[in-house]
Amino acid sequence: MRSKTFWLLVAMLVASLALVAAGCGGDDEGDDAAGTEATTGEEGGSEAAEQVITVNWGTEPPSLDPGLASDTTSANILLNIMDPLVILDEDLNPVPNAAETVETSEDGLTVTFTLRDDLKWTNGDPVTAQDFEYSWKRTVSPELGADYAYQFYGIVGAQDYNSCDAKKDDCAALADKMAVKAVDDKTLEVKLTTPQPWFVQQAAHHSFLAVHRQTVEKFGDKWTEAANIVTNGAFKLERWEHSSAIDIVKWDEWRDADRVKLTRVNGRMIEDGTTAVQAFEAGEVDVLKAGLPPDEIPRLKDTPEYEQYTGLGTYYYGVNVKNITDVKQRRAMALAIPRQSIIDNVAQADQLPASGFTPQGMPGFDAINPDSPFLPAEGDMEQAKQLMDEVASPKTEITLYINDAPGHREIAVAIQAAWKELGITSEIKQQEFQQYLEFLGPPPNKDVDVYRLGWIGDFVDAINFLELWTCESGNNSTNYCNKEYDAVIEEARKTEDNDARYELYAEAEEILFGEDGDMPVLPIYFYTYTGLERESVKDTFEVNLLDQVDLTKVVVTE
Amino acid sequence: MLKFIVRRVFWTIPVLLVVIFLTFMMMRQIGGNPFRQSERAVPEAVQRNLEEKFHVNDPWYLQYAHYVKGVFTFDLGPSLVVRGRDVNDIVRTHFPKSIELGVYAFLFALVIGVPLGMIAALRHNTWVDYSAMFFSNVFHAVPSFLVATLLIYFVALKAGWFPTSGWTTWEHKILPSVALGFGPMALFARLVRGTMLETLQQDYVRTARAKGLRYRRVVGLHVLRNSLIPVVTAAGPLLGFIITGSFVIELIFNIPGIGQSYIDSVSNRDFSVVMGLTVLLSGIVIVANLVVDILYGILDPRTRDARG
Amino acid sequence: MTITDAREALTAEPGASPASGAPIRQSNLWRDAWRRYVRNKAAVVAGTVFVVVLLYCLIAPIASPHDPDAVNFALSSQTPSLEHPFGTDKFGRDLFTRTALGGRVSILIGFGATIAILFIGVVYGAISGFVGGRIDNGLMRFLDALYGLPYLPFAIITLAIIGRTNTWTMMIALSIASWFTTARIVRGQVLTLKENDYVRAAKAVGARWYRILGRHLLPNTLGVLIIAIFLELPGVILGEAFLSFIGLGISPPDPSWGAMAQEGRTVFRSHPTAIIVPSIAIATLVLCANFVADGLRDALDPRTRES
Repeated sequence: MRSKTFWLLVAMLVASLALVAAGCGGDDEGDDAAGTEATTGEEGGSEAAEQVITVNWGTEPPSLDPGLASDTTSANILLNIMDPLVILDEDLNPVPNAAETVETSEDGLTVTFTLRDDLKWTNGDPVTAQDFEYSWKRTVSPELGADYAYQFYGIVGAQDYNSCDAKKDDCAALADKMAVKAVDDKTLEVKLTTPQPWFVQQAAHHSFLAVHRQTVEKFGDKWTEAANIVTNGAFKLERWEHSSAIDIVKWDEWRDADRVKLTRVNGRMIEDGTTAVQAFEAGEVDVLKAGLPPDEIPRLKDTPEYEQYTGLGTYYYGVNVKNITDVKQRRAMALAIPRQSIIDNVAQADQLPASGFTPQGMPGFDAINPDSPFLPAEGDMEQAKQLMDEVASPKTEITLYINDAPGHREIAVAIQAAWKELGITSEIKQQEFQQYLEFLGPPPNKDVDVYRLGWIGDFVDAINFLELWTCESGNNSTNYCNKEYDAVIEEARKTEDNDARYELYAEAEEILFGEDGDMPVLPIYFYTYTGLERESVKDTFEVNLLDQVDLTKVVVTE
Repeated sequence: MLKFIVRRVFWTIPVLLVVIFLTFMMMRQIGGNPFRQSERAVPEAVQRNLEEKFHVNDPWYLQYAHYVKGVFTFDLGPSLVVRGRDVNDIVRTHFPKSIELGVYAFLFALVIGVPLGMIAALRHNTWVDYSAMFFSNVFHAVPSFLVATLLIYFVALKAGWFPTSGWTTWEHKILPSVALGFGPMALFARLVRGTMLETLQQDYVRTARAKGLRYRRVVGLHVLRNSLIPVVTAAGPLLGFIITGSFVIELIFNIPGIGQSYIDSVSNRDFSVVMGLTVLLSGIVIVANLVVDILYGILDPRTRDARG
Repeated sequence: MTITDAREALTAEPGASPASGAPIRQSNLWRDAWRRYVRNKAAVVAGTVFVVVLLYCLIAPIASPHDPDAVNFALSSQTPSLEHPFGTDKFGRDLFTRTALGGRVSILIGFGATIAILFIGVVYGAISGFVGGRIDNGLMRFLDALYGLPYLPFAIITLAIIGRTNTWTMMIALSIASWFTTARIVRGQVLTLKENDYVRAAKAVGARWYRILGRHLLPNTLGVLIIAIFLELPGVILGEAFLSFIGLGISPPDPSWGAMAQEGRTVFRSHPTAIIVPSIAIATLVLCANFVADGLRDALDPRTRES
């Protein structure tokens, strides 16, 4: 046999295979970050020695600049590394946090925040009211082009400043006119355009956080990098490897550091849901915060690690009222949708079938919700067909636009089948997000008959949701314009008393979904958030309606 | 020989310019608003300001000139969507990982595929040959997303040998490289086997053997060298395959390479990032082709003058 | 990538094909080729399987009692049974029928894109080779530039430009950056054949260019083209699968194998059939195409015979 060379080759092959399989046995659960020993502890156990957890946030936070951040991942991290003026308690009422007191004047037009004495930045500087004035004006400034600048429009002069065109107007003067003023080092005075009962609550939003002026001016766009950033909250940003990992550690000099138990929170950014679940099951991650893929939910639902929270959001289909003009057809289409079935079989996270537009969890929900006769949980095909028959000249060929994220496809397919029974043939047009947004305008592209969107609340008041359907709303792609509706909303903006306001909201919902409802929108369900949490943190890792988690409250048990 | 190399290198510059131009023109056709990332509409004033800031409204030739200048000064511009990050930053953090993945996959394919092909050829028509070829054909055909899914499930999750995702320690890097490399490995095995079989049949090889030259010498010099030619030839287009395959592998294994960034940027209409990444990817392919051509020129002198 | 096999095999000894250049008496060449092909057992098996798959995709949806789009959650995610030979997907739709339908789409896109690739490549290569001279040089230089375009990113951009994803747009997107090698090969062939005696004689006699092209050059290139089809096909099918997997595939409820694989991945843990079936389908087609291509190459070009 020509043995030698042959065996040489075989040896090479075996060696290579051995190299490849070299990880055999030596490797334990992926050790890239100091993870917790994933023990399935009992409830109410004692504190573990190592108070470290690994969380999957799901995406790379696009920005940790409070002025620019507009997504939940950034919001979550920001709210834990910075100190907001107010925070929301379990009932979502604002409580003073970095602010010692918050006072609203008699007429509701002036809000005064008085800061605590012990606020500091990580570099030793004290946090002052001037910091807040600078930050809020910066967010509204036209140069920054902040998405959330509109949150400040309730403040006198803010909208003007934000719309300033540097070529024509004197923007510096407009900045001065914006009514946010640091009366002294500890007092911040804000003047509102109208009384807004929700303003204080809104101040809990991350866009109202303060930034450290010198840092921003020194590093410009890069001020949020881990090496440069200066923060003032319970945790500090220790490491941020873009698209890979983001780690925060406890800041021992925070004013309330004694009650913070966690020493470190490692963040992963696994976007793909299935991959994230695998990472959890392999012990590499302790909490999946970013939602589970619906298809995995039936399998995971009964496991002890499964967790579900109510969200503040509505999943809906908007109807182009200029294309589908007969309100009876819209009502029929609403009736035909088998909401509960979709929830049970497609969305699979125990969402709540929508009976109006304002979601469950919103204060005043019971008063506001119209319990629309056209939005029954199970759908009512009988009645839908009857109603459809009454339509004089129905539009039987419609386009249904969705963006191409996985869940939406399945839901669209289910609804497409339902409408088929009404004699409506729907063509599902799937587009990727940007294309989609362009198509929707407003005003929407002529080809759009029905489109899918979801609306998540920014703050906890129904106006946030109901103002979408006003004539001028930049998020109203239905061509729906009803002066009566607009009037109700306007009135509500001015009404301070909660109950009175809820009544107005109820009126608005009636206009949309009541017996004589216009039905420009077909709400489908109210969001829930799903996740997986190890039993050692399950009790204390709580996510509120706005999808936020307060890491100062999390404790790892044995 | 040197002249050949110089000539080839020289031609890459106009090639790159053409690629930039084509990409630029294509990008302009896409439309969409990079400044609107969520379902909320962007207030008019804000939209206006952002467009100004990023020169989105300049006439196309200005934008193009500005861009070409950027490319040659290695400044690929700022990201339109991720404020505060430059395309250079994004490239610097993401590209090396993709390249690493590609290189490891390639190495895996080479180290396993070539010997496999050789063994199959030397043991032609035996069960060794058949099983090796069966194995490699199957792996060539099965899409890498299935291979990846199976690997993760059995090797990472069930057996616990490797992490299921990420790209930090060396343990993380094995499964993705293997998953990506299986296809090319199978290809190399087939090619090497094929060429070796052919060469082994050649008269001069038979003569050498008949004359009693030591087997190893025969195999080593002639056969091996000739068998490597198709490997080199295939390497060029294979690079394309590895780049595209990496998009899917990166998605499944959560590797922060350019695949994910690329898809996300096109999705988000982050024009500068898309341009930057496309130009860079093309640059790599061009360089790879250059290397392949030069290697080919060295290995097989006939081709040196056969082009153009 | 395997088209480089063809390139390498066919350009190694220029113009040595026994019948090159001569006006072909079709029957003999093809009959010979067929005989040789049939002797290659693997190729025959592959060819048969290929035809079977094609038939399955054509007939199953027509013959099937199940509506491939009917959503029925009561039946979702079933394992294979007599009623549903491949089981059902998460909507309760019969996978056997859907795989066949998906096959239609994937194969259609595959062939469509391949033909587009060939068409563009042939036109480009033939013109370049035939015309020769400086134009040829220029065209080849430009081709070099195009070589630098990696196909997937450009497929993605093309789809973004067109804005919609359906069978036709996928064909365009997949062919846009994949025809370069074909052009090169065709040009190489044309260049070779141009020097051939028969062609020169024809030219000397004053035959018109289209006659030369039609009677001499193209028929000889035909063999290469047929092989090229089966070599490009796997790449395109995998390309479609990848694009669909990333999420850029055709719209629901129409299935394609790549889209089905993507849908199936999320239920892998509870219902692995959903991803395995379309993946095996893709693999089968790719395998067959490869073997058929090998067989064709051996049959049409006896120099590369393996003993």
